[in-house]
Amino acid sequence: MYISLNWIKDFVDLDGLKVEDIVNKFTLSCAEVEDVVYKGKDISKVITARIESVENHPNSKKLHLLKVNTGKEVLDIVCGAPNVRVGLITALATIGGKVGEVEINKAVVGGYESYGMCCSAKELGISDDNSGIIEFAEDTPIGVDIKEILPIEDTIIEVDNKSLTNRPDMWGHYGIAREISAITGRKLKEYVVDNGNYASLPAINVEVESDTCNRYSAVRIENVSKNVSPMEMQVRLYYCGMRAISLLADLTNYIMLELGQPMHSFNGDKVQAIKVRNVKEDTQFTTLDETERVLPKDTMVIDLNSEIGAIAGVMGGLSSEIEDNTNSTVLESANFDAVKIRKTATALGLRSESSARYEKSLDPEMTMTALLRYIYLLKNIDENIKVTSSITDIYVNKYKHITIEITKGFIDRYTGIEIGIDRMVSILESLGFGVSQNGETLTIDVPTWRATKDISVKADIVEEITRVYGYDNMVSLPSKQPVTPTKLSVDVERDYSLKFTLADRFNFHEIHSYLWENAEENKELGIETVSHIRLINSLQKDNDDLRSTMLPTMIRAIAQNKNFEDGCGVFEIGHIVTGMKDNLAVEEKALGMAKIFARTDTQKQLLDMKDCIHYLFEYVLKIPVAFKHNCPEKPYLIDKNHYIVVSGTEIVGEIGILSPKVQRKIDSNKNIILVELYLNEINKISSQEYKVERVSRYPVTTLDFNFLLDEDDLYSKIESVGGLVRTDLSYKFNLVDIYENKENKTKSYTIRYQVTSFDHTLSSAEIEEFHKAVIDTFEKHDIHLKAE
Amino acid sequence: MNELENIKELFEERITSVNDLNELNAIRVDFLGKNGHLTTCMKLIKDLSNEEKKSFGENVNKLKTLVLERIEEKKEYLEEKEIRAEIDKMPNVDLTTPSGDKRGSLHPVTIVQQKLIDIFRSMGFTVEDGNEVETEYNNFEAVNIPKHHPARDMQDTFYLSNGQVLKTHTSASQNRIMKKYGAPLKAIFPGRCFRNEELDASHENTFFQMEGMMIDKDVSISNLIYFMKTMLSEVFGKEVNVRLRPGFFPFVEPGFELDSSCPYCGGKGCRVCKNSGWIELCPCGMIHPNVLEMGGIDPNEYQGFAFGLGLSRLVMMTYGFDDIRHLNGKDLNVLSQTKVK
Repeated sequence: MYISLNWIKDFVDLDGLKVEDIVNKFTLSCAEVEDVVYKGKDISKVITARIESVENHPNSKKLHLLKVNTGKEVLDIVCGAPNVRVGLITALATIGGKVGEVEINKAVVGGYESYGMCCSAKELGISDDNSGIIEFAEDTPIGVDIKEILPIEDTIIEVDNKSLTNRPDMWGHYGIAREISAITGRKLKEYVVDNGNYASLPAINVEVESDTCNRYSAVRIENVSKNVSPMEMQVRLYYCGMRAISLLADLTNYIMLELGQPMHSFNGDKVQAIKVRNVKEDTQFTTLDETERVLPKDTMVIDLNSEIGAIAGVMGGLSSEIEDNTNSTVLESANFDAVKIRKTATALGLRSESSARYEKSLDPEMTMTALLRYIYLLKNIDENIKVTSSITDIYVNKYKHITIEITKGFIDRYTGIEIGIDRMVSILESLGFGVSQNGETLTIDVPTWRATKDISVKADIVEEITRVYGYDNMVSLPSKQPVTPTKLSVDVERDYSLKFTLADRFNFHEIHSYLWENAEENKELGIETVSHIRLINSLQKDNDDLRSTMLPTMIRAIAQNKNFEDGCGVFEIGHIVTGMKDNLAVEEKALGMAKIFARTDTQKQLLDMKDCIHYLFEYVLKIPVAFKHNCPEKPYLIDKNHYIVVSGTEIVGEIGILSPKVQRKIDSNKNIILVELYLNEINKISSQEYKVERVSRYPVTTLDFNFLLDEDDLYSKIESVGGLVRTDLSYKFNLVDIYENKENKTKSYTIRYQVTSFDHTLSSAEIEEFHKAVIDTFEKHDIHLKAE
Repeated sequence: MNELENIKELFEERITSVNDLNELNAIRVDFLGKNGHLTTCMKLIKDLSNEEKKSFGENVNKLKTLVLERIEEKKEYLEEKEIRAEIDKMPNVDLTTPSGDKRGSLHPVTIVQQKLIDIFRSMGFTVEDGNEVETEYNNFEAVNIPKHHPARDMQDTFYLSNGQVLKTHTSASQNRIMKKYGAPLKAIFPGRCFRNEELDASHENTFFQMEGMMIDKDVSISNLIYFMKTMLSEVFGKEVNVRLRPGFFPFVEPGFELDSSCPYCGGKGCRVCKNSGWIELCPCGMIHPNVLEMGGIDPNEYQGFAFGLGLSRLVMMTYGFDDIRHLNGKDLNVLSQTKVK
C-alpha cells in the first residue's frame, strides 16, 4: 500500500521529524516498508502562466505558436497540445528548469524559437493524462511556482501489504497516522465529519437478506453540480495508485484510502430499493470494468430495484455507474464478512482494492464515519449539494466489545524487563485503547478498529506495548532455568551416526530428493512402483504418487551420477509411506543406498556392501544383524543374490542387485547394488552396551575342522550350529577358509575352534573330548567332516 | 720401536682404504682385539729394560689412542655415508600431485543442521524428529490457523488423497511435541517442509526448516533475544547483533521477524544483505496462548517462545549456493564439494 506523507500530515504534525527516522521507527514498530519515493524532486522552475495568444504554426498542423504571460514577461512558446486557447492558465516550465528527465532550454521547434514548455499532468508526474496541457481554474494567479498550487512534492512510503494482513485498521491513511502518532509521540488530530441531522428525512429502502452482510449504511445525495475532483485530491489518488474518474466516484476511493472503508457510489437516478442477497444460481453480470462475468451460486450481490447492481464488496456493475451528467447518488458504506468476500474474489479471480480490505475483517463502526466524511468533503467541494434521505443503517451483526484485564506483572514476565506502568498506559492510549488503572492492574477497552480479529487476548496487549516501546529497548537475557544436558532421541542420534559413517568411512555421497515418485523417469527406466497415497493438487504434473520405498529414488539418483566415479555410492535417509491405517498415512523413515560398479567382480562388490551394512549394525547401531537368502518382491531386483537383513526376529531391510532390464537403460556394462534399511523397525531395537569379555590366563588350544556342504548351502548353516557345542570349557569359532569343489558340487569350510578353561590348563583328554563334542554336534545337524 | 712403526704404517694403510662398517670393525679387532697387533706388541714390554719400558709403554699407549680416535672418526664418517645412501635409495615423492582418493560426502543441509543441533544441545534443548505427512489439524488448527485463514488456500498446500497434507512448516510438530513433553520444554525439531509452488532459483517445493520452542513459567522476549543471538553468533562463528521487527504469524503473539546483523560485512552493507546491513533470518515470537492450550499446556501458568529458522536459506548463505534447486538436485558434482564436516 502506498502512503502519502502529505496526507498523513492532515492528521499528525510531522514538523521537525526526519522522513528516514519515521520510516525506520515504522519498520521496527508497525510494518515493513518496502520503498520510499520522493515525488516532485524532478520538477523545478515550473510556474503558472496564461496563454495570451494562439497562432497556427505555418509548417505544422499540430504545433501552435503561443504568447504566454508569466506575470513578469510574455514569452514565445511553441506547443503541440490540442487544448491550447487564449486565456487558459497552464503550467509552464521555464528555461533552466526541469520536468522529469527533460531539462528546459531555449529551443527551436519547427523553425520557431520557444522559451519554455507547457506541461501536461503526466509530464508533471501527477496523472496518466497526456491528452493535453494541464488546465488550471480561471482565478489561478499567474507567475506562481506550481508547487505552491499543487502538492507535487510528496513522500510516498510503500508498505508491504503482507505485513498488514492482520491489521484492518492500517488499510487507510488515518490508521497509519494513528500508528505514526503513537511512535512519534505527536498528537493524532480528530477525523472531521459532517454533523448534519438528517433523521427526519425519508429512509432508503434497504433490505439485508444475506447473513454475510454485517452492516449496510446508505444515504442519498442530490443536486450535485460538479463532476471533476479538485486537483489536490486527484494528485493524492494518483500517488496512492488510483486514477481519478469523476468527483462522486473519486470521493469513495479517497475515503477508502483515508479510512480503509470501501464505499460505492451508485447512480442516484437508478436506485429506488436496495437488497443484499446471495444469488440462487450461477448468474451473468457485467462489472464496471466492462467485463462479463459468471457469478457462481451463493455469491453475495447488491440488488438495485430487483436487478443486480454490484458484487458485494468486490466491484460495482456497469449499468449503475456514475456518468458525466449524474447529479445524484446513493452511497453505500457497508461491512461484509471477510471470508465470504475472499472466497468470492478468489472464485472470480477479481481482487479489487475493496475486496482486499474487506478480506481483513473491517471495523463495522466505520460505515457511518465514512458516510459522514463523504458528505463533509463533498460539501466543501460543492456547497449546493442536498442530502435527501435519512442515513439508513441496517446493523445486523454488531462487533464484539472486547475488554481485557492485565497486570503489569504479566507484561513484565513476558518482556523480561520493566516498563513503567505510566508508559504502558500512555502507549495504549496513543493507539486509541481505553485504559482504566487500578494499582498495577489495567482494564483495557479495545477500540472497535482493533476488535474484529486483531486483538482479543492478553498477549495481544503485550505486543501493542512492546512494539511501540521499541524492541530495540529489550535486552538480551539468559534464562533463569538451569541448563541440563539433553539426550538426543534415538532417531536423531542414529540418523547422523549412520550418515557420517557412510560418508566418512564407506565413501557414500548423501543426496536429498522428493517425497514423491518421478513418473516420467520411472517410465523411461522401466521401474514399476507401488504407492499407497497420492497428491491431489500438485503443480508437478504426474508426480503425484508418494514413494513407498527409497529404492526407485536411489536408482534414479545413481543413474543420474553413473559417470561421476566408478564404485560411486549414494544414500538418503528419507520418508516413505508404506500403507494406510484408519485412513491416515503410515509414514516411516528408511535409509536407501545404491552403488554402481563396472561389472567385474560381483561377489566382491556384494560382499563389500554386506560388510558395510554389517559395520553399520555391529559398530554404529550396536545391534545384531544377519542376512537371509530371499526372493525379492520388487520387480526391478533380480531373484539371484537377494537377501533380507534381519536383526533378532525383525526384518529390517533388504539388499539386492538391480535387474539387467533396468540396468541396460542406464549402462549395460555396470552393476548397481541396492540396499534399503527400515529405520523405524531398526530404531525399535535398543543398542547393546558391550562388556569386555573375560580372557583366560591359561593356554588356548586351536582345533581346525573341515566341514562339507552342498554348493547351494549357505555358511549360515554352519554358523548356527557352531555355537551349540555342549561343554564346560570356554570356546569360540570362526571361518578360516572356503574351498569350492566344482566337480563334486560341494564346498568345504575350514572352521577354527579356540578352546580354553578359566581355571586350568586343558589336559589332552579334555581336548580330545571337546574335539569329539564338536563333531557330534555337527553330525546331529547333518553336517559332516570332509573325508580326508 | 721398529715394530710400532710397522704397526702404525699397517694401520694407516688399512684405515685409509676402509669402505664399510664391517671392515672397520675388523680393523678394530685386528689392532685392539685380544690378539690384535697392539695387544700382542704390548707383550714385548717384559723383555725391555726399565727405562725402555717406560718410553715403550708411552709410545704404545699413544699409538692406541691414535688408533681409537681414527676408528671412531672413520666410524662416524661411514655411518653418515650409509644413512645418506639409504636416503638416496628412497624414491622422490611429488606431494603436489593430486590425491586420488574417492571420498564420500554429507549433504550440506545435514552438515549445517548438525552444527545447529550441537549448538542447541549445548544450550539444553532436546532434539526431535517429525513426520512429513500431517493432519490438517496439526498443520493448521493446532497452530492457530483456523479453517478460513488464507494460508490454507489450495495453492500453497499439498493435499493428499486421504485429506492429509504435506506439512507446510515445522510448526506442524509443535502440538505433538507439547503433548509429548508438557512444560517446561526446550526442544528443536528440524524437518522438511512442502509448498506447492513452481520451482525457480529461489523457490523449492521441498525445503528445510528448524523449529524451536522454549516453554517455562517466565520465558520472556528478552530470553528469545538471548538465545537467538547466542545461536546465530555460534552459527556464523562471530558475534552478531539481532533485532526484532513486528511480524504476523498466527501461532505467535507478539510475532517477530528476526534480523541478524550481516555476518559477511559486519553491518556495513554488502551483496548478501542487499546493502541493508541486516539479514532477515527467522520468524519467531511468543507462543500464542491458544497454541499452548491446544498442546495441553496452561497458558496462565506457562509461556514461551518459538522460532522457525530457514535451514535451506542458511545453507545457501553458508556455502554460497545461488540456486536452491541444487539442494534436491542429486548432482554429485555439486553436492560432493561439501565433504563431511
